[in-house]
Amino acid sequence: MVTDRTAPVETATLAAEVEGLLEPAEADGVYRDTRECTSALLFLGLLLISPPTPRPKTDNR
Amino acid sequence: MAEQTQGAVPLSAVIADAATGVALALRGEGGPYALSGILRHNDALTPAAVRVLGADALAPYAMEHRGAPVGPEDEAVVRQALAAYPPGADASEVSRWTYRGLVEASHAFLPAGAQPWPAPPEAATGWVDSTPWPKLSHRVSQLAALALPKLAPGLAEQLTARTDDLSRGFVRAVRRRDWLQAAGLGRWLARLPDVAPTLGLDSGLAFVRQMGGADPRVALHVVAAQRFYGRGW
Amino acid sequence: MTGGRGDPGLLDRMVRGSLGWLDEARGFFRLPPNVTTDADPNLTLKPLGELAELTQLIGVLHPRDEIRQAARGLFAFAWNETRDGELFAELIHGEPFATYPVELYGTFAQAGLRHADADALVQTTTRLRGWRVAREDHTRTLNVLNAERRLGLRQHADFASVLALTGLGRLPEPWTLDRKSVYGVTHDVFHLTDWGRNRQRLSPEFAGYLRLWLPSWLDTWLEEEMWDLVGELLAVTACLPAAPFDPVAWQRLATAQAADGSVPEIGAAPSSGDPAEAFLACYHSTLVTAFAATLARIACDEAEAGPVAGDPALVGGRTPCESENAP
Repeated sequence: MVTDRTAPVETATLAAEVEGLLEPAEADGVYRDTRECTSALLFLGLLLISPPTPRPKTDNR
Repeated sequence: MAEQTQGAVPLSAVIADAATGVALALRGEGGPYALSGILRHNDALTPAAVRVLGADALAPYAMEHRGAPVGPEDEAVVRQALAAYPPGADASEVSRWTYRGLVEASHAFLPAGAQPWPAPPEAATGWVDSTPWPKLSHRVSQLAALALPKLAPGLAEQLTARTDDLSRGFVRAVRRRDWLQAAGLGRWLARLPDVAPTLGLDSGLAFVRQMGGADPRVALHVVAAQRFYGRGW
Repeated sequence: MTGGRGDPGLLDRMVRGSLGWLDEARGFFRLPPNVTTDADPNLTLKPLGELAELTQLIGVLHPRDEIRQAARGLFAFAWNETRDGELFAELIHGEPFATYPVELYGTFAQAGLRHADADALVQTTTRLRGWRVAREDHTRTLNVLNAERRLGLRQHADFASVLALTGLGRLPEPWTLDRKSVYGVTHDVFHLTDWGRNRQRLSPEFAGYLRLWLPSWLDTWLEEEMWDLVGELLAVTACLPAAPFDPVAWQRLATAQAADGSVPEIGAAPSSGDPAEAFLACYHSTLVTAFAATLARIACDEAEAGPVAGDPALVGGRTPCESENAP
């Protein structure tokens, strides 16, 4: 094996790094949803109500 | 990513370069494969990189039609890695299994040299049955390099019983945009026999490659799934 | 996700808590005088419609009498707010081609509550060719079809054909669903099963798909603390044959429920102290929690009573599906 005198020290340092790379902690989730280009159809929009419909003009307008 | 305090090139960059080289070889590009061709000889980081890549360092030798015979330097590098970074007495399952994977790959894919290869260390499988699926999935993704022909048959059999759970882990990982985890899981799922068709594993692997392929290890897992298990095209 | 019989005590506490908060919040459900003209329907009719839809169900299906009574009280309150249905005649008169008044009216009609003028109007408007023009949201169309059924009208399109176009009908790759599409899938299930009343309408193929992938969706939306979606996913879970019970998810949702019974939409409830803001931030998730806990409670009772009689294929897990393996 080709080594030099610093190798044992480096190996000790590297051993911890190797373990870290073998088993990294799980990253936080990155959540990104499809953007809506239409009006902000709030999630509840699916439940019952239509997207805003044109309102009839009232007499007092 | 682990911090690198010494030297100009961090270990993670050495690993990334090597992963690129392995993936290239698995695609049948870049000429005959040799570990010595993708990792610098006499570099202190080389054994560490081989230990982290694990069985994947030898993955191109698992291909049926490879170009050149295995060079003697490769054997020396693997022996160096095995000698320098054995799992300790209190090592984690991942550390044990990845080490075991490198030993098994040496047995399977490298010619028997003058010296015998070390015996594969014992590695337990009890955790496969008992670990909740999100944690199981994360761990199995860290063992992606063992998803190679002939390696860890016992583990593969145990994991078969958790195929649906690992598939859920794939969904979870993609949703979290954890491409490395998704690729590692997808690679294992490519090896398992009974993945639910509704998962869409083939398009899922292709999607992960597109989204996360900037990480060479992601690309490597997807290419391995294609090369060895015909999934992800 | 484990099988098992669930936790009826926890589920009942959650329903009671939710209904108690909703009862206290009646004032915010009251319709303003301008409800048929320039009030925002999303802040007036939608909350009342959700209240009516879900309390009607709880008032009929919950196994505990005192919970049914509480829910029926809220449902009667909602009908009273519509001035015994006169509201629907006014809404349809004002917006004859909008679907939402018909959908809302259907909620009450299924309980036998009708208004003669509204009936006469929908008879005319829903037989127009214009009514049958495809709508852009297929999931929403399912709700319109259900409303037509509830009102005894001819359905303007074939339910199964529309369902086939939805997020559930297409069986999308489970990792492709984002927030909006997973809402769509939950509502496809609610419309198909009539909010869990006819769970046997869920085909083995759909049930197998949902059984397989619901745990992964629940996990990520629990992590995002989107409690209304968590509740909806738990409600869908409870619609499955031999429904699994996920104790961790239920415990998380229970923990998100405040001492006053409210469940915030996302994360923690607003702390401004403004009751109107708190209402808007919580009413939907609180209703969904009561709904989901009711369906899960029914599933508990069924597990207790042993396997449901009926087609054993309905209880199956994964179902055969064309392989996507490349040849």
